[in-house]
Amino acid sequence: MVSKPLLRFIILRIATYTLTIFTAFTFIFLLLKSMPVSAVENILAGLTTQGQVIDPKAVIELRNTLYEVFGLTGSPVEQYLRYLRRFLTLDFGPSIMSYPTPARELVMSRLPWTISLLTFTTILSWILGNIIGVLAGMTRERKISKILVGLSLTLHPIPYYIMALVLIFLFCYLIPIFPLVGGFGAVSITDVVSLIKDWLYKSTLPALSMILISMFGWWFLSSYSLALNTQTEDYVYYAMLRALPESRILKNYVLRNVLLPQVTGLGLSLGGIFGGALLTETLFVYPGVGMLVYRAVLSGDYPTALSILSMSIIAVATATLILDLIYPFIDPRVRHR
Amino acid sequence: MSRTISNLRSILTPLTTLIKTNIKFSTGFTILVILLVLTFLSFVAPPKNQHWYSYPKSLAPSLTSIDLILGTTANGRSVFWTLTTAIRNSLLIGIITALIAPHIGLIIGIIAGLKGGIVDRILMFITDTIIVIPALMLYVVIIMTLKPVISMYGDPIPFMGLIFSITAWCWPARQVRAMVISLREREFILTTTLSGNPMLYIIVREIIPHLLPWHLINFTNTILYAIGSESGLAVLGLSILDKDTLGTMIYWVLYYSALFRGLWWWYITPIVGILITFVAFFLISQGISEYVNPRLRRR
Repeated sequence: MVSKPLLRFIILRIATYTLTIFTAFTFIFLLLKSMPVSAVENILAGLTTQGQVIDPKAVIELRNTLYEVFGLTGSPVEQYLRYLRRFLTLDFGPSIMSYPTPARELVMSRLPWTISLLTFTTILSWILGNIIGVLAGMTRERKISKILVGLSLTLHPIPYYIMALVLIFLFCYLIPIFPLVGGFGAVSITDVVSLIKDWLYKSTLPALSMILISMFGWWFLSSYSLALNTQTEDYVYYAMLRALPESRILKNYVLRNVLLPQVTGLGLSLGGIFGGALLTETLFVYPGVGMLVYRAVLSGDYPTALSILSMSIIAVATATLILDLIYPFIDPRVRHR
Repeated sequence: MSRTISNLRSILTPLTTLIKTNIKFSTGFTILVILLVLTFLSFVAPPKNQHWYSYPKSLAPSLTSIDLILGTTANGRSVFWTLTTAIRNSLLIGIITALIAPHIGLIIGIIAGLKGGIVDRILMFITDTIIVIPALMLYVVIIMTLKPVISMYGDPIPFMGLIFSITAWCWPARQVRAMVISLREREFILTTTLSGNPMLYIIVREIIPHLLPWHLINFTNTILYAIGSESGLAVLGLSILDKDTLGTMIYWVLYYSALFRGLWWWYITPIVGILITFVAFFLISQGISEYVNPRLRRR
């Protein structure tokens, strides 16, 4: 079944995929290396400022050991090769800033928070935005559709962290439902009920800020204009002439065609999840991956920073790869050449 | 002389038509004019506003004088004058990025689209690689690295524009390439190629005129992208904190936890400033794309 051009396309696509990932990884490694911070020196400085009198010899020995443990000895090329090996196994060894916890464990403790928040918001806003967008496109003469379009035109360009600041103002200051400061403290896992409560309490505002922007801003607008374009197509006109019921035209003729390009967008945003949402997490003090990678980068914690960043790179690249490969199956009009 | 006038008219006529007929464009344009007025007001701002504690701390807005029209901050500065400078600097960052990035994107997109083959592959490979890297993290690392040298060579504000240009050219490049690929197959390009016109002539006279409106849209979108990135970095404390931009205003608001102290006027001002700047530029780019692409017009 697999034709020759298709096979060639797949092989070429996978080759570029691998190359992209490695280039991006190398680039990030170089950037991190050029940062003027050294986590090891920070640890040593922390030890000496604690007021302990340490034998200078012991300090030198400790420094050498620490450099050894984190794979920071030798020439930059050797270090790069060592980290490349760690990259292939996706195990970057112990974290520097919270030694001796492995970086992987550190990431895994934060990942559920980020994934639960971002998967939920991405999928929910995709579904709602598309449905409302298509409905508004079908009934574009109605007053409510016009109001929705106006609303989304205003919301579309706004960055989600500005929306977060607006929500903080509304729901923490004007109508104080959520605490202004200190309410989003440490995670306490005692039982399931309080865990869910805790999660809801922490996630509601961050989720709302992202859903509002991506649902009304992006998905609504794009599916609205796609619906407008699809409606003028001949096959929809023909379906109307055949006096098919409105709901069937909507479902089989318009929605299906609108959803095709939207699937691409969904895939890309799902791939982007692993990078975390740094700004939202910072503003709401949410214990996610974004905060972790930010702190790791700032303190020069290569193992932690690289494990999150490479995860994110792989996820985005994989999402584009999968989309490119399966797209002809979703949309039979596209053929691999 | 008459040539310049006719050139000027070719710019002014679409502009006036847009303002008269397109409600999105005219709304955006009006807000932009207000922003520009505020920008020019920043040049007459009292110099003492540059220093902390030159006004009474944490005063609520009052109509007694123009200094206090939006109240004062917790570090003793006039919110109104700070806002005018902030809008000026933010617009400057946006415009510098927009003067660089979309033009690089245009050139790379045209080259990739026209040449095709291996050149296209390599250029698009570079573009995709930059797109894959999380942009915010990239900026964090770059700014951390360059922080010691940023203020060494004069004004750091244009420098931020340079930094954002590193990634901002990628999407325009991809878009331009896609359009050039479809243009390349049209008959008039074939005709002009067969007429023996040189490549550069074809690009300048036949291809770029078709891309210009989209280039203009990319231009406004890049302004938004740069202003947004700057304020995002500022929230993290990674912008140039001793200069006023819309982002650093937000940084100081968060730093002094203005809402906790009840200084709502200080909190709201930069946020409203960013909101209207974004809506203005977005409406302008929407207006232009409706003008170019009649299918988008509301019937």
